Amino acid sequence: MNSPDALDAAVDRTPTDWNAPDMQARIRRRYASERRFKYVGLSAVAASAAFLAFLLIVMIGNGIGGFTQTRIALPVDFETAPISVDPDLLRSGSGEAALANADFQGLVEYAATAAYGPGANQYFSDGAWVLVRRQIAANPDLLLGKTVFDLPAASDIDIANKSEGSAEAERAVKLLDSRHALSKSLNVAFLTGGDATDPALAGIWGALKGSLLTMLVTLVLAFPVGVLASLYLEEYAARNRLTDIIEVSINNLAAVPSIIFGLLALAVFINLFGMPTSSPLVGGVTLALMTMPVIVIAGRNAIKSVPPSIRDAALGVGASRVQVVFHHVLPLALPGILTGTIIGMARALGETAPLLLIGMRAFIADPPGGITDPSTVLPMQIFLWSDEVDKGFVEKTSAAIIVLLVVLLSMNAFAVYLRNRFEKRW
Amino acid sequence: MPDSISPTGTPNPKMTARNVSVYYGDKKAIDNVSIDVDRDNVTAFIGPSGCGKSTFLRTLNRMNDTIPSARVEGDIKLDGEDIYSSAMDVVQLRARVGMVFQKPNPFPKSIYDNVAYGPKIHGLAEGKVELDTIVERSLKRAGLWEEVKDRLTDSGTALSGGQQQRLCIARAIAVDPEVILMDEPCSALDPIATAKIEELIHELRGRYAIVIVTHNMQQAARVSQRTAFFHLGNLVEYGQTTDIFTNPRETRTKDYITGRYG
Repeated sequence: MNSPDALDAAVDRTPTDWNAPDMQARIRRRYASERRFKYVGLSAVAASAAFLAFLLIVMIGNGIGGFTQTRIALPVDFETAPISVDPDLLRSGSGEAALANADFQGLVEYAATAAYGPGANQYFSDGAWVLVRRQIAANPDLLLGKTVFDLPAASDIDIANKSEGSAEAERAVKLLDSRHALSKSLNVAFLTGGDATDPALAGIWGALKGSLLTMLVTLVLAFPVGVLASLYLEEYAARNRLTDIIEVSINNLAAVPSIIFGLLALAVFINLFGMPTSSPLVGGVTLALMTMPVIVIAGRNAIKSVPPSIRDAALGVGASRVQVVFHHVLPLALPGILTGTIIGMARALGETAPLLLIGMRAFIADPPGGITDPSTVLPMQIFLWSDEVDKGFVEKTSAAIIVLLVVLLSMNAFAVYLRNRFEKRW
Repeated sequence: MPDSISPTGTPNPKMTARNVSVYYGDKKAIDNVSIDVDRDNVTAFIGPSGCGKSTFLRTLNRMNDTIPSARVEGDIKLDGEDIYSSAMDVVQLRARVGMVFQKPNPFPKSIYDNVAYGPKIHGLAEGKVELDTIVERSLKRAGLWEEVKDRLTDSGTALSGGQQQRLCIARAIAVDPEVILMDEPCSALDPIATAKIEELIHELRGRYAIVIVTHNMQQAARVSQRTAFFHLGNLVEYGQTTDIFTNPRETRTKDYITGRYG
């Protein structure tokens, strides 16, 4: 019974002893569990940081050499050299044929043998004679006396100079070093050239430019389509079975393995529409198909998070639905949409599988001039180089990975910048 | 609706509602309500939570259109024009029947842009000078000008709650509406800010027809001349505020205003 006496008895119990031993033990256990959680969390963060640091350190350690190049000084005495090109002919501007006929390969072989003994022309990159010809074409006066050319070393010499090479190459390096003929310089050709069969001459610019063009096509197609689709689905479309199906389809599209998009592109864009194979155009369209659902999903979430009170406020002063969307909802959702877009673009930048199928794995020496030229992309170049037999391509592969990571990191930094810039308005 | 309630509480109504029912899907939220909104007076809607007074308020400028499941039956007229007819442009209607919401909801833009937004989209101002004039006049009428005149470029969201609500009123005034609907405009404000809003409603009376939904019966008694008491989707009683509070005809009204329930 709830008589007043019974209630009093219930209330009138011994006061809680907050200092009792079991209370103290409970407090200690609580503190211990908080500490445990803190350490577990910290170690998780430390582990992921360590993975990242490991990746970066290994990549930079392997790849940094790819940005430099060993060069060998090659003295040439044109008085005795087995080559006869008239400098006056070159100066008059009609020396093309004379240069084309001259045996520069023989010249390099002769000069190398003269300077460093028989077989020394193996020390030089296969394309070294091209550089000699280029320098002479630029400055015909070189033909008049003794000149020292600074030529790229062959990749085995390059490796031996930078780290451990074969015994033979190490001997050559020792010999060259004793003559003070070796030097190291920034590998400009790597940053400005296209792919080549000789690692000493191979460059990343062709793939980088291909990637940038492909991304441009992807962005131009996927961003407007993705943003408009998400705006329509959130702000206009009625909630019914059809929009549910569309939503599920878009979510599924985002999860479709990328290689399937490649097959689709091959069948539709190349075979049916006859778009140019290996081109950034087809690559960009393919990647846009993959990126668009990511933008739609991110865009819808961003639009959903715009408070309804803002829509009410705009409608309340007589804004039309389009005005509500473009004056209020879109500007507020933009940071989220941009973040999603960059995430989607970063994924597209690293994509290889679908591009294999549309022919972007071909060997292409010239950087693309436009979006319809044959081209390759950074991840594909990494894949191609990692498959090469020549040891010189090992550090080129790592160097290309560094370039890819730098592009990715700058994209992410740009996303953070955009987000902060637009969020200030809130 | 009982016969004792006269919907024509006024000889010269601004808005008239006849036999209005509102459904959310299958649920009937408002049952056959007829009421007049007076041109020169403040009309208060009171009633317990969930009685449909906010729902009814939102039918007066068709804000319920944004809720897909909402359906409105009956006639609502603004100066004799049917606002649910196809000839009525809903955007213009909402400019003519402005709204102030329960929670202050300024745009995340500058104070100036908040007030200037309505006139801009309706093309009410020719040039910057006229727009400046409209902004200043609206802020003055909303009693906010003296507090913000030196910081018009600051964000509207940086103001205090009471100031934000007056900014929202200025924003509604700026498009020169005929009716202002206020949906519990003081429920998120402290007593001092509430007093300022109430004072403002007094000043705006006569220039605009005002309808205010409130939970606070003292507030209804203070600011309104007409009071409508809603209960469970029905209009129980509508009349002069003094009559409703001193001499209610219905026992349900009496019980509510004396605090018996609600």
